[in-house]
Amino acid sequence: MAEIDHWQPVLRTNELRAAPAAVKLAGRELVVFRDGDGRVRALDDVCPHRGMRLSLGHVEAGNIVCPYHGWAFRGDGTAVVPPARNKHACAGRWDAIERHDLVFVKPSGVTAPFPRLELDGFHHVSTFRREIDAPVELVLDNFIEVEHTPGTHAFLGYANTDDVVTTVRATDDHVWVRNVGPQKPVPRLLRPLANVSTGDEFTDEWTTWFSPVYTVYDHIWRDGSTGALKEHLRSPVFFVPIDEHRTNLFVAVYARRSPYGRLGFNMLSYAAVGLLSRFEVELDVEMVENIADKSTSLAGRKLGHFDTALGKARERIERIYRGQQPR
Amino acid sequence: MSPSRVDNLVVGAGPAGLAVAACLRRRGASFEVLERAAEVGSSWRTHYERLHLHTAASHSHLPYREFPDIYPTYPSRQQIVDYLADYAREFDVRPHFGATVQRASPVGDTWRVETARGDWTAKRLIVATGYNGHPMVPEFDGQAGFAGPIVHSKAYFSGREFAGKRVMVVGSGNSGAEIAVDLFECGATPFICIRGPVHVNARDFMGIPAQVLSLRLSKLPRWVADRIGVAASKMRYPDLEALGIRRPSKGPISMIVEDGRIPMIDIGTIDLIRQGALTVVPGITSFDREGAHFVDGRYVELDAVVLATGYRSGLGDWLETDALDDHGLPRVFGAPAAPGLFFIGFRNPPTGALRDIGQEAQALADHIAKAN
Repeated sequence: MAEIDHWQPVLRTNELRAAPAAVKLAGRELVVFRDGDGRVRALDDVCPHRGMRLSLGHVEAGNIVCPYHGWAFRGDGTAVVPPARNKHACAGRWDAIERHDLVFVKPSGVTAPFPRLELDGFHHVSTFRREIDAPVELVLDNFIEVEHTPGTHAFLGYANTDDVVTTVRATDDHVWVRNVGPQKPVPRLLRPLANVSTGDEFTDEWTTWFSPVYTVYDHIWRDGSTGALKEHLRSPVFFVPIDEHRTNLFVAVYARRSPYGRLGFNMLSYAAVGLLSRFEVELDVEMVENIADKSTSLAGRKLGHFDTALGKARERIERIYRGQQPR
Repeated sequence: MSPSRVDNLVVGAGPAGLAVAACLRRRGASFEVLERAAEVGSSWRTHYERLHLHTAASHSHLPYREFPDIYPTYPSRQQIVDYLADYAREFDVRPHFGATVQRASPVGDTWRVETARGDWTAKRLIVATGYNGHPMVPEFDGQAGFAGPIVHSKAYFSGREFAGKRVMVVGSGNSGAEIAVDLFECGATPFICIRGPVHVNARDFMGIPAQVLSLRLSKLPRWVADRIGVAASKMRYPDLEALGIRRPSKGPISMIVEDGRIPMIDIGTIDLIRQGALTVVPGITSFDREGAHFVDGRYVELDAVVLATGYRSGLGDWLETDALDDHGLPRVFGAPAAPGLFFIGFRNPPTGALRDIGQEAQALADHIAKAN
């Protein structure tokens, strides 16, 4: 398995409109478009004729038309003949599918599991994509430790990591982390919106998988005194390399509470939670992009106990995601 | 060895058996529970891994004990397994494990029950063995010559072992529809064989579980409920026919009530069909070594077949009674079906099987408590 040999998201569903979209996945350039049935399709972004970028063309009758000489290709990459003069011309084909409001691709013919997000019964709050100027390892690092939450985050996380109990467990194919501690201060105005208060018991629990690289978070808030469940968000996050230096981060937020709860107030609450999630991710990005030493190796770094999951993730990225033999 | 005596003998330690046991315990009635497996909730333990409850947690728990607050709307298989184990502990239900019932027959005004681990005499026999005891396995022409495995969904746990393979699921019930999704998610190339017309409905509408809506619908006249059911399906799936799935002429609610056939609850199956990730095939005419022929003349190469063709109760195999219908299913619930004979958990109403079990268990326990 190589980096590209997994089902990975490359776009949000509503980023794909009538025009073909150029996307980059682990250094490979693809064109993504909708065919005549509205099905999402993906091909190598290079015309087999003279190497032009198909993404600069347009879609006509469900086929993608190269802007250079007008050769047309179906969603499966085969040429429409005529006008293509060479009936053997075939654009490099990828499998593509829309699920969970994201467009996923993998090279055709490669066997790969589809990421399981366990969203049954959860309600969609928000999905967004953020390009980050840092390699995939460093982005993942940020998202699998809570030590940064007191300083980096506005509302999400813990005030003091001394009060946090962290458990890390790893199996061959995943890394699981649970943190439990008091929620950091929440401004009075946000409390009803987020349904979270200062001092609630906040459990930040997640599992990271490596084919592809993604983490499914459970953010659970319980009343500090009664222990009653107040809020539960489930949030799958995908870490997809654009190339060696940049990463596409896909964040989806789902809630356990139905949007109709609290007489429909939850809908307003959802909007707020969606915006807050985006804001908190921006704060993460601010830090990650400003890292001075963006080498991906952990060798030589002085790590603390909150970084336990990082090393385990590194090993699994190399072995499972990149398919490298352990050195 | 003379048989052990007990007032109330419950057969089966799944949700139905445990619910009855809990209700009897609350009423101070004495009982024993027989279970053929080595643990409670054995069907749920061996169901395929991806399974979730199709009905809402808030409307599906057993008597006296809600699901833990952290359980989502549709609890997972493992969560149900854990819940049942906790439930048995809480109500101190300790079944006799490994006690497969070989024969149960009325003797005078008692029931005589022979098991693999001793015999019983009971005043009342409460049968809670479930409607999915025995797999129904159809036979197809040429299937003996098919090179790949043909397994029943009862033996299917995960699609992982089928990664990279071309696998056909036979049957369009909820197991078939979900196993097809599981196969795709595990990296197989799935096909689903839909032989006859089938109703399809979403599991929820705008975030409201279909079961909760069914509870409302069930109060309406059946023809009205049927029309609403079909209209809802047509709104959500206007392209069903184009995907190779025909709707039955009989309404969905009537089919549940009259024929015990529940609609396919869509957990993503239809979307995979639309996107070409799952291929619908019609009835099978025959198998050969490499694949199968279909009634529309198509031929598909296959590596394996999963039969999601349902179950039969298997009651007729061991239970000596004339209280069963042509399908081998009981007709009377919440009251004696024959002197000293009760059934629970053999229905699958639109409002949810677990919810129904809870109500039946209470009615049944009331009946028994009054008789004492």
